[in-house]
Amino acid sequence: MAENLLEVKNLKKYFPVKAGIFKKTVAHVKAVDDISFAVKEGETLGLVGESGCGKSTTGRTILRLLEATAGEVIFEGKSVMDLDKKAMRAIRRDMQIIFQDPYASLNPRMTVADIVGEPLDIHKLAKNKKERNEKVREILENVGLGAEYMHRYPHEFSGGQRQRIGVARALAVDPKLIIADEPVSALDVSVQAQVVNLLQDLQKEYGLTYLFIAHDLSVVKHISDRVAVMYLGKIVELTDKHELYSNPKHPYTQSLLSAIPEADPKKKKNRIVLEGDVPSPVDPPSGCRFHPRCPKAFEPCSVKEPEFKEYGDGHFAACHLLDK
Amino acid sequence: MNKQALVEVKNLKTYFYTEEGIVKAVDGVDYEIYPGETLGIVGESGCGKSVTSLSIMRLVESPPGRIEAGEINFQGKDLTKISEKEMRKIRGNDISMIFQEPMTSLNPVYTVGDQIIEAIMLHKDVNRKEARKQAIDMLKKVGIPLPEQRVDEYPHQLSGGMRQRVMIAMALSCDPKLLIADEPTTALDVTIQAQILELMNSLKESYGMSIMMITHDLGVIAEVSDRVAVMYAGKVVEYTDVDTLFDDPKHPYTWGLMNSIPKLDKDVDRLEAIPGSVPSPLNFPKGCKFNTRCPLAEGKCYDEEPPLEEAAAGHKVRCWRYKDLEEIKKRGERIYEDRGVQK
Repeated sequence: MAENLLEVKNLKKYFPVKAGIFKKTVAHVKAVDDISFAVKEGETLGLVGESGCGKSTTGRTILRLLEATAGEVIFEGKSVMDLDKKAMRAIRRDMQIIFQDPYASLNPRMTVADIVGEPLDIHKLAKNKKERNEKVREILENVGLGAEYMHRYPHEFSGGQRQRIGVARALAVDPKLIIADEPVSALDVSVQAQVVNLLQDLQKEYGLTYLFIAHDLSVVKHISDRVAVMYLGKIVELTDKHELYSNPKHPYTQSLLSAIPEADPKKKKNRIVLEGDVPSPVDPPSGCRFHPRCPKAFEPCSVKEPEFKEYGDGHFAACHLLDK
Repeated sequence: MNKQALVEVKNLKTYFYTEEGIVKAVDGVDYEIYPGETLGIVGESGCGKSVTSLSIMRLVESPPGRIEAGEINFQGKDLTKISEKEMRKIRGNDISMIFQEPMTSLNPVYTVGDQIIEAIMLHKDVNRKEARKQAIDMLKKVGIPLPEQRVDEYPHQLSGGMRQRVMIAMALSCDPKLLIADEPTTALDVTIQAQILELMNSLKESYGMSIMMITHDLGVIAEVSDRVAVMYAGKVVEYTDVDTLFDDPKHPYTWGLMNSIPKLDKDVDRLEAIPGSVPSPLNFPKGCKFNTRCPLAEGKCYDEEPPLEEAAAGHKVRCWRYKDLEEIKKRGERIYEDRGVQK
């Protein structure tokens, strides 16, 4: 069994809601509310959920791009939460991120060589300019961009090519873990497949570990080994991808899976259409957060929060129904 | 099909005259929409799918845009020829439209009720009190809880899914014969998307209207369409009924699109990605416009554009080599080579 590269324990991230002239904190948005999971070395853990469920906040809090409210993040056996700025910077060499929007995440005034070379400068990985350029060229070729693109600016590229530049930048420092935050959702369908294939190839080649955050369940299923489903700041289910898709235990996962329109007109599915919208994370429902929309809710659901625990063979879920 | 088409688009060309040159966004498109059916239009960004619908509504901004050629026949009238005054009677009344982003298509300073009432009073001979009653009725029909209260709320007080329901209520308030839906669920979460698609399907049946569903999502297409037009670079490249399209795609582009999306019920190690990206509309290649990305492209494909020809009954395809693709499919091979990691 592979070692855990990353462990997240009881992670919480609350954002204060301020009001009035003195900007008094009146409430908190509980974006991530007590979640725990681990990512094994070399695997891809998918993190899925609808908008506002806290999946992106989770990714950013792990990298300490956002400071956690409580909880622990352990990377290679070391807690990263109390590292000072310098030590944190050093450890970011091993943990990189790819962002969703390839248009907003690249500086328009920097050439591709500078964008990809900047992490090399920060971590002092190249002795001189020649070596740096050599490395940049090599990385660009690895992500399928020719060296002739080195001195161009981001606006000269298509969405798919920009995302390749984003991948190259993350790869430049030879990281162990890459947090990919919706890396393909801004891309056209045909280009999505190119980037997904690229990420898989690079994983094989460099032995990378991915935390793959997305809302598209089909893409997540394709690329992940295990999948965690989030709802309103909580992980509601986590298991092996085949198990999750063939035997979903949580009613939210079940309805989420049935809601995906599949590219097969003959398939008439028994769709579980959920009522209503996702409630506000400022004032989440009592008990199980899913109970107001859950088609199977019964008495304890509105009162007691279900415990997130294992139901055989690495299949974790949080639902009262399973204890019935 | 013997039925009379509700809308018949013939050789439609809509060009944009920009400083960099002429953008041929829609370049000779033909299709028909029959009463009570849903025509799906699928394609990637920039393929001209939205511009065709804006052309039907005559909402193409001019300048720089212009309907260059073609006919749009709707109930015996050619919509490209009639006056703006006549068009205004049709728009929002016989043909209405819903858009992708429900926040930007609703006016933030009016209540949703005011906006629906405006549409009703513009096209129907009713007083405000009656229009308000109808508006509340519509909101109820699209599944908005407490419609008597919601009618006096502003768009920002509603969630994304609710706003899209309001848009649908407004679009349907005048009993249109055709509803054009331009990526109506793209901005919504999957569980909300499922609600909206379900709503549209049930409203289509109860109103007996036709829907033109524009989307990039083949899943949505499979779910709601009766027939489908696949667009690439301003042209229809494949046109048939939905079952045939998914069973037997004949154009390499359609084939590529279908194999580049991961399926929930099937595992593949690698997706069949279409290489490259959509060519710039300022600089389309000569010959078949897909030739820069097509693994089957050869000789003729680079010189001459293929016509949209009938490959089987009711199945049209724009490709010189669709028969060769057939052979490859029979052998069960993948047509898109893997580029893999370059060394």
